Amino acid sequence: MPISAPDTLLTISGMTAGYGKIGVLHGVDMTIGRGEIVALLGPNGAGKTTLLRAVSGLLPWTGQARFDGADLAGVSPRDAARRGLVHVVEGHRVFTQLSVTDNLLLAGYDLPRGERSSRVDEALAYFPEIAAKRADRAGALSGGQQQMLAVAQGLVRRPKLLMLDEPSAGLSPVLVDRVLSVADSLRKGGTAILLVEQLIEKALALADRVYAMAQGRIVLEASTTEADLPHRLEQAYFGKDAVPVLG
Amino acid sequence: MNRAILPYLGLFGAALLLPLFANDYWAVIGARAAVYWVLVGGLNLVVGFGGQLAIGYVALLTLGAYTSAVLCARYGLDPFLSFAAAGVVGAVAGVIVGLPALRLRTFYFAMTTLGFATIVTQIALAWQSVTGGGIGLPGPELPKPFDTPWGFYLFALALAALITWLSANVASSRFGRALVAIRDAEVAAEATGISKPRLLTTVFLFSGAAAGVAGGLFATLQSYITPDAFSFDLSVTFFIAILVGGRGSILGPLIGNIILTLLPEFAAPLVAWSTFLYAALLLAIVLLMPGGIAALLDFSNRKPLTANRAIVPRLDRLRGLLDHGTAQASIVLRNVVLSFGGVRAIDGLDLTVRPGQVHGLIGPNGSGKTTTLNVISGYYEPEQGEAFLGTTPLPHGAPQTRAALGIARTFQTPRLIGEASVLENVMIGATIEGTASFVETMLSLPRHRGDEKRMTAQAMDALAVVGLDGLAPVRADRLQHSELRFMEIARALMLKPAFLLLDEPAAGLSGDEIKRLGELIVAIARNGTGVLLVEHHADLIFDICDHVTVLNLGRELAAGTPGDIRAHKEVVSAYLGA
Amino acid sequence: MLAAILAAGLAVGATYALIGVTYNLMFSASRVMSFTAGQLGMLGGVFGALFIHRLGMPIIPGFILALAACALVGVVTEIVAVRPVLGSLEQHLYVLSTLGLALMIQQFTAIEWSTEPQPFPVLLGFDGGGPLDEKFWLPLVACVVTIAGLEFLYRRTLVGRAFLAIAEDNFAARALGLPERNLRMGSYALAGVVGGLAGFASGELLLAFFANGAMLNFFGFVPVALGGLGNNRGAIIGGIALGVFQQAANFLVGGVFASVAVFAVFIIVLLVRPQGLFGAPATRRV
Repeated sequence: MPISAPDTLLTISGMTAGYGKIGVLHGVDMTIGRGEIVALLGPNGAGKTTLLRAVSGLLPWTGQARFDGADLAGVSPRDAARRGLVHVVEGHRVFTQLSVTDNLLLAGYDLPRGERSSRVDEALAYFPEIAAKRADRAGALSGGQQQMLAVAQGLVRRPKLLMLDEPSAGLSPVLVDRVLSVADSLRKGGTAILLVEQLIEKALALADRVYAMAQGRIVLEASTTEADLPHRLEQAYFGKDAVPVLG
Repeated sequence: MNRAILPYLGLFGAALLLPLFANDYWAVIGARAAVYWVLVGGLNLVVGFGGQLAIGYVALLTLGAYTSAVLCARYGLDPFLSFAAAGVVGAVAGVIVGLPALRLRTFYFAMTTLGFATIVTQIALAWQSVTGGGIGLPGPELPKPFDTPWGFYLFALALAALITWLSANVASSRFGRALVAIRDAEVAAEATGISKPRLLTTVFLFSGAAAGVAGGLFATLQSYITPDAFSFDLSVTFFIAILVGGRGSILGPLIGNIILTLLPEFAAPLVAWSTFLYAALLLAIVLLMPGGIAALLDFSNRKPLTANRAIVPRLDRLRGLLDHGTAQASIVLRNVVLSFGGVRAIDGLDLTVRPGQVHGLIGPNGSGKTTTLNVISGYYEPEQGEAFLGTTPLPHGAPQTRAALGIARTFQTPRLIGEASVLENVMIGATIEGTASFVETMLSLPRHRGDEKRMTAQAMDALAVVGLDGLAPVRADRLQHSELRFMEIARALMLKPAFLLLDEPAAGLSGDEIKRLGELIVAIARNGTGVLLVEHHADLIFDICDHVTVLNLGRELAAGTPGDIRAHKEVVSAYLGA
Repeated sequence: MLAAILAAGLAVGATYALIGVTYNLMFSASRVMSFTAGQLGMLGGVFGALFIHRLGMPIIPGFILALAACALVGVVTEIVAVRPVLGSLEQHLYVLSTLGLALMIQQFTAIEWSTEPQPFPVLLGFDGGGPLDEKFWLPLVACVVTIAGLEFLYRRTLVGRAFLAIAEDNFAARALGLPERNLRMGSYALAGVVGGLAGFASGELLLAFFANGAMLNFFGFVPVALGGLGNNRGAIIGGIALGVFQQAANFLVGGVFASVAVFAVFIIVLLVRPQGLFGAPATRRV
């Protein structure tokens, strides 16, 4: 049981959450250190998105969670973002009617007025592709550019922990590499990242550690350097070699 | 005798005794409550059961009252015949007011009924040559013995009792259950073959006729009518009586109607404030007690349920339920293409689901599994390609046609009627198997009673099969999530389906429950029903499927036995996203 | 006569348009249509008459106080009738809760204010009685000012963009850390101001009358329904067209037929295009 060491940023234990009557998380334990990239893998319906939503306060949850030395209980997404815990939701959901700059300014809604535009420039520095289109409507961007914008929105807050939910979904391989390369440079700046990803090889290549979820629980925790990781992951996804219960 | 009748008999008995100890003034008040109930009792099926927010029903009262009064005053028609005529006019107008409900939802529909009410009042005011305009005209005068206050009271009471009986018969029938299904689980209602247009038209005819007759009675009660008598406040009172009484109940709204009619009599200083109080009551009910009076009276659902209930399916009972043998035809999809906003969810898919087999459909997120299921069950209209059952084409975009073809399904999130009992929820599955017409049902004729008996027995069987028979009388929203999943399967089994489409039935189930679900699915298939299983739990798929299709990006990536798939290199890598 | 029709039509139409905008402001923030929209218009007139005519306040403070009172009613709508039912939007309980609140407002006004139309103070005294009477163009001015104000809000201020953001994707806005609840209350307050402005500006024309609430509720909803929910341009064009059409029909064929015609157009368009003339088709259900 990892005790809140100085280099631990997020500690979750026994987290349960769900939608109405449907329980999705059944006691999740997880820790993330400062400046660490952690990949969260698992089949559909395992509860990865639910976990991210619970941690960022978008969904109610029970259990214990501490972030940066403070309790996360009852914290709203707004408070979480103020503390440096930023969640980029799945599906590059940017505001299509607003310009790129406005999308980013909104991400800095709680920042002091004078600081906002410099933070926007700072976030755009990671993505020259969309910096050139800062006056365009976000709806006019391609899917990949919208995803970059969504990540850039997260960066406006200078997060301590950035949670990315499937940033590669629907992107071409080149763009996936592009988005993920930003994650790498963020790590160098000390930002921790929790990455939910379907592209396992790419996620493993980037991450320091990996968690795999199945049926609302963590079923695997490993360093990405471990040798038999692919085999262990396969088991986590498909279960142990199945013995048919019926003829 | 059914104990549920006792409260009605009590109320009716008290109403019969009223003349013995009350003065004539109370005859008028009592008659008013009875006349209002004739309207509210019919409207209850529309609002309380069907969930259609018709707030302007005073329009039908107005039409009925003027029809009756004009026919009597200007053409000398017999008053009783004029009531019948008012019923006919009300029924026709009821359909006209109601039809927008087939296209429009809630707020929009409420607004159209409100607009209709405004128009009718304006016409009554403007069409002076017939309605007398603002001066008005006399209402029908009834002959002896109904010409005294108590005589009219008893006449109105008889009609109120009649409407109670008729609406209770409808409410407790497949029509009533289907109405509630449209209200609370419209998508599931379509999958069980319920035709919303036909059902709503019938019910609007019924409630319109009741409102028209109530209008005729109202004209007699008032003895002289002007457009002022038909205020929007009155309309709101009818509507609020139903909601205060509780949706999906007859007794609740009946009590609500009595309370709302009598309240001003007991609190004379508050008469001016009565509409304000009703509105406050409506707000309070919606926010604090959505079940209304009916929920207060529902004692049986307060008893705590056993904790730690286990779902134990009785597979031996399946043979009695699914007695159709193995169907011959397969479900076949040919080159189906379907996109959402430019993204191809299904991109040229061929698929054959054979009878008597468990066919697994797996694939990563967004690979088109549920979309495929929705094409087969008719919710989506593909841009290209066809779906067949054997050689019969499956019409696209017409989910209500699938039940008759023997294709049943469950949903990713269980679609259920929380306020109805588990038994009633399951009986919804057999709606299309009913043989009695609406009129036979309304009058509780033998064919209707036979239907009910058969469906109840069949539903108990289906519940026993999935292991929920102990919970049959319990309100469905009290069940656990896993029990609701099995309840949906029981509902689907009511069709004796040739094919059963299951959309992630194991989601949210415990390990034990998944094992029992697997056994149930296999047993269903062995009784001749083809099962198409969309599922994320790879273990379950590999355990129970005869055949597995793997989708990726809307196309078939691999197909074969679980063993083939388990060894398929590309599948493993597609799943692992490498 | 044409001038009279046009003057009255534009004035009434501008009032409908503003009530339509009131509906839209509430809808954008919460996906809820509220029966209180028309009541806010009615209250604008009643509060104006109360503060200026009955209590003798000067026009400007009376005007500001009337709008502030309407903003408060907007916020109360959000807290009492909308927020508690947002969790179960698919049950459409908001139709009932806002209907309850709207009726309470209407009845309270009828009892405590008057059941008869009460005079509204003359604000400027411009051209008494002619087609250029202020009562005809004040609603138009209010409409233009509202459009300009909303344009400024949405294009020039961050809070305005935040309104647009929660209207487009409430979940993403919440995830981004926007104060969604405060913004929603802000939208309802703004809706109160716009509704109040509609009633205040048309006060000399429609008077301070409790039954205006129900009337504005219906005729303000027609352009919204026809133009598509949340579409302010549709609501404004539709509202003004409706006003002119209604007044013309009033003059030419009489009030009843005008009402019937409006209702018929409303029903037919909705049955053919339930999402309105400019609205997007319904989304997936399964």
